[in-house]
Amino acid sequence: MRKLYFRFFFLLTALAGTTAAAQQADSSRYQLQTVNVFGKPAEVYAAGSRVVTLDSSYLSIYSGSSLAEALQTRTPLYFKTYGASGISSVSFRGTNASQTAVLWNGLNIALPTLGQSDFATLPLSGIGEVSVQHGAAAATYGSGAIGGAVLLSSPTYGRKGLSSELQQEAGSFVRYFSNGSISYRDEKVTIGTSAYHRTAENNFKYSDLSRFGAPERRQEHASQKVYGFTQDLAWHITPKTNIALHSWYTYADRNLQPAMGSAHNNAKQEDENLRLLTELTHSSRFGQSSIKVAYFKDYLKYTDNSNNSVADVHTYQLQAEQTYNQGKNWSLRGGLNLQQFQAENDGYAGEKEETRTSLFALFRYDPLDILDLSLNLRQTLVKGYNPVPTPALGFNLKFYQQQHHQLSLKGNVSGSYRIPTLNDRFWTGAGNPELKPEQGWSYEGGLRHLYVLGNELLLETEATYYHMLIDDWIQWAPSSAGTWVPSNLQKVRSRGVELSSSLSAKIGDVNLKGTAGYTYTSSEQVEAYIGEGETGKQLMYVPLHKAILSAEANYSGWSLLGNLNYTGLRYTTNSETSSLDDFLLLNLALSKKIQLRQNTLILTLRSDNATNSVYQTMAYRAMPPRGYTFSLRFIIP
Amino acid sequence: MRKFNYFRSLFLAVTLITSSLAFTSCDNDNDGPSGAYAEDGVFMVNEGSFGTPNGSISYYNNRSQQVQNTIFQNENDRLLGDVIQNMVIHGDRAFIVANNSNKIEVVNANTFNSLGTIEGLEMPRYFAALNEDKGYVTEIVSYNGSPGRVSVIDLNTFTVSKTIEVGVQPQQLVIAGGKVYVANSGGNTITVINSSTDAVESTITVTEGPNSLVIDRNNALWVASSGVKVGWPVSEEESSPGALSKINLASNTVTSTLTFNQNAPSPSKLTTNGNRDKLYYVFNRKVYQQDVNATTLNTMPLIDRGTYIEYGFYGLGVDPETGYIYEGKVNDFTSSSWVIRYSPTGAPVDSFRVGIAPNGFVFK
Repeated sequence: MRKLYFRFFFLLTALAGTTAAAQQADSSRYQLQTVNVFGKPAEVYAAGSRVVTLDSSYLSIYSGSSLAEALQTRTPLYFKTYGASGISSVSFRGTNASQTAVLWNGLNIALPTLGQSDFATLPLSGIGEVSVQHGAAAATYGSGAIGGAVLLSSPTYGRKGLSSELQQEAGSFVRYFSNGSISYRDEKVTIGTSAYHRTAENNFKYSDLSRFGAPERRQEHASQKVYGFTQDLAWHITPKTNIALHSWYTYADRNLQPAMGSAHNNAKQEDENLRLLTELTHSSRFGQSSIKVAYFKDYLKYTDNSNNSVADVHTYQLQAEQTYNQGKNWSLRGGLNLQQFQAENDGYAGEKEETRTSLFALFRYDPLDILDLSLNLRQTLVKGYNPVPTPALGFNLKFYQQQHHQLSLKGNVSGSYRIPTLNDRFWTGAGNPELKPEQGWSYEGGLRHLYVLGNELLLETEATYYHMLIDDWIQWAPSSAGTWVPSNLQKVRSRGVELSSSLSAKIGDVNLKGTAGYTYTSSEQVEAYIGEGETGKQLMYVPLHKAILSAEANYSGWSLLGNLNYTGLRYTTNSETSSLDDFLLLNLALSKKIQLRQNTLILTLRSDNATNSVYQTMAYRAMPPRGYTFSLRFIIP
Repeated sequence: MRKFNYFRSLFLAVTLITSSLAFTSCDNDNDGPSGAYAEDGVFMVNEGSFGTPNGSISYYNNRSQQVQNTIFQNENDRLLGDVIQNMVIHGDRAFIVANNSNKIEVVNANTFNSLGTIEGLEMPRYFAALNEDKGYVTEIVSYNGSPGRVSVIDLNTFTVSKTIEVGVQPQQLVIAGGKVYVANSGGNTITVINSSTDAVESTITVTEGPNSLVIDRNNALWVASSGVKVGWPVSEEESSPGALSKINLASNTVTSTLTFNQNAPSPSKLTTNGNRDKLYYVFNRKVYQQDVNATTLNTMPLIDRGTYIEYGFYGLGVDPETGYIYEGKVNDFTSSSWVIRYSPTGAPVDSFRVGIAPNGFVFK
């Protein structure tokens, strides 16, 4: 595999040498057919649940950002970010960082050691589409999809012939971002490669709350360097058989920003992730078959003045699926997922291995034009840690339809689970063989309203209520021996309301797009299995209120985009004794598209945190004040 | 930071009330120090969560029976630090060791107003003052098995005047007869430093893992050692037992070693009462008490709360005047903890909420 990786790297450098740099960024704008027709089971087999896809024009303007920044700005997900350069972990529907699954081309990519993804190391560059599945969907996506799932796909290169893109960005706090892609497509083959590189000093000024009078200081030890590349190949071997190869490499070298008032102990983290995936799809009279084989390598090195720890995990995955459609209203998909982990970690005694097997059946039935039903079932088998079978049942009912209006009722009951991580199992002196998998039950229901006025106006409004119970929630806490150990600590109840509305309209030559969303999340412990607990109190770092608002106007090559994020008070202890103030963040971007013969040049000026708001998402980790970014993007042709 | 404002107004109210009381009582007691924390009470050292500067000091006023939390922050309008390990009052000053902030905050012990910060330390643990001019602080420096050190602090300039290499992972220290005794918890020694030369004079070998020490009324040094612990859950078979060692300070020799008959649990939090004729320590989630002249370990616990929670007795203190026993009880490291008070006979009296993870008590 090492050899393979070098071969990719060689190919990349060769390409970069001839075309100055490679990139992709905005391929998702071209909404053309790709070979990945089997990518998203969510919409077909998750009736009654909500899947939201991030706007592609937003993704192209913010291609230099991390997934954490994009989702914080555009979705109800809350991210706890350890300063400008630090790790970023998610809380979705009141759950913890391990309880949101992250999938790339349909396969789970969470670090097997920690059982979670650091969203700060996931770039927007090199990603085709970003979708967010709200709520428990473990029957479809497997372990960890308790609060929801984030679905990433490889870029799709739509344009026929040869095309390429180059982007260069410079911004405040000594931040530089370069991005490039090149692709070729004909009747039979699509090939594309992209690469990005970003450095940032993050030497912004902040008020130091740990010193008298909160003096202004310059942030130290928060610089970062990240880069990565993707390669994608799709080949239509026959009209019915396709093969696709995807590779994704990301690297991050970060100085971890210390908390205000905590020692600056030279904490650094290096992350290197290589993900390779091959997918073979074939259509026959028995339906569609898909086989995915993947290899992931996740390397993480953390060092500080007194620690030096390395985790190196090889993951092999196989997913085989068969989809069978009967007429227009039946669809059945059965499948098998195999995961094999080989992990080396300073905390483990020797190399550890684990194999997980999942069997799943997804069933969709539309008995009437206005009614969709889905029933899913999944059983995962892990030696010593078998979760109970996970079912999901959902419906959509279009109960009112008039010329311009459509009203639907939707509902969903789903189970979810999370298998203990490799660290939970194998950490020397901590691995707890008594640990049980986490188990969740979620109930949700809602209304969706659609208003369509020809080509001029589309207004989509949705309201959802959910109620979720998560039992045997695993948490690490210090033991009486002074070491940290994982245990099934508590049972948590999370309840909430999600409201969202999106609008697109055309008024003369002006195109308008807008989204608004509000979420109320009440997440509290209802039972404690160790200690006395803090029942009835909001879990730490779960905002009760979060609202997002975005608006975009396009006119004659000009584009103005504004994103507003309001995040309410968050407690920083589970006893509600201290908290972080609510904050309001405004990001603005102005773009001008210039046509140079058949090529396009896009100039963008951005202001992030335009109102210079002082905020923290993790207590005492300073976040950047107002900053500016200028970007040039050149698209050929 | 809403909490700041809330506490500020609460504090203001409390100060107004207490200062008006102080005014009325001043007529009778002109010589007493003044300040919001000048009255008899106890300070609780709340460690906070590691990696977050939310360590704090709480104050319990014996007369008003009221608790005030985050008093350093209230008085100085800034955070105290990350992992508050230790606080010591010497004269009118209090020295607060912030382990993961690599500093010691110095405040007026009566008003809690900041007097300065001692910086340049590496994982400081415990502090002891020799006199008004000189103090000592143990520093782990590194967890990689290399020796820790003791820094000599000039208490007039708040700077480090000298560093002295000691054993691995030095923890508690005591000063007696001009000598500084340092428990090296990563090994099996007590380092003896001569305070007139600030050089290591000798080392005393004790049971593996000395973690806390105290001097009794007969001027004997008592050391609680953990023993060697193996595995998790700690293996009874593979671990070695902890012990209490008694050291004659005239000869620096161990005169007796009281070894525990269970291997897995460790004795810790060794402390004494006002008369220094009794020892108190935590063992197997229970509190034991014994006479300093006893030649065997007491097998009957003074406080036994049954199968107690994992982090009960995270802190242990004995009020030198009343003999009341204070327990710091940690719920988890992400929410406020409790302090539980027991009568001298070990019966629970009352409890109140403090900051996160109270690991020690300072009586005033």
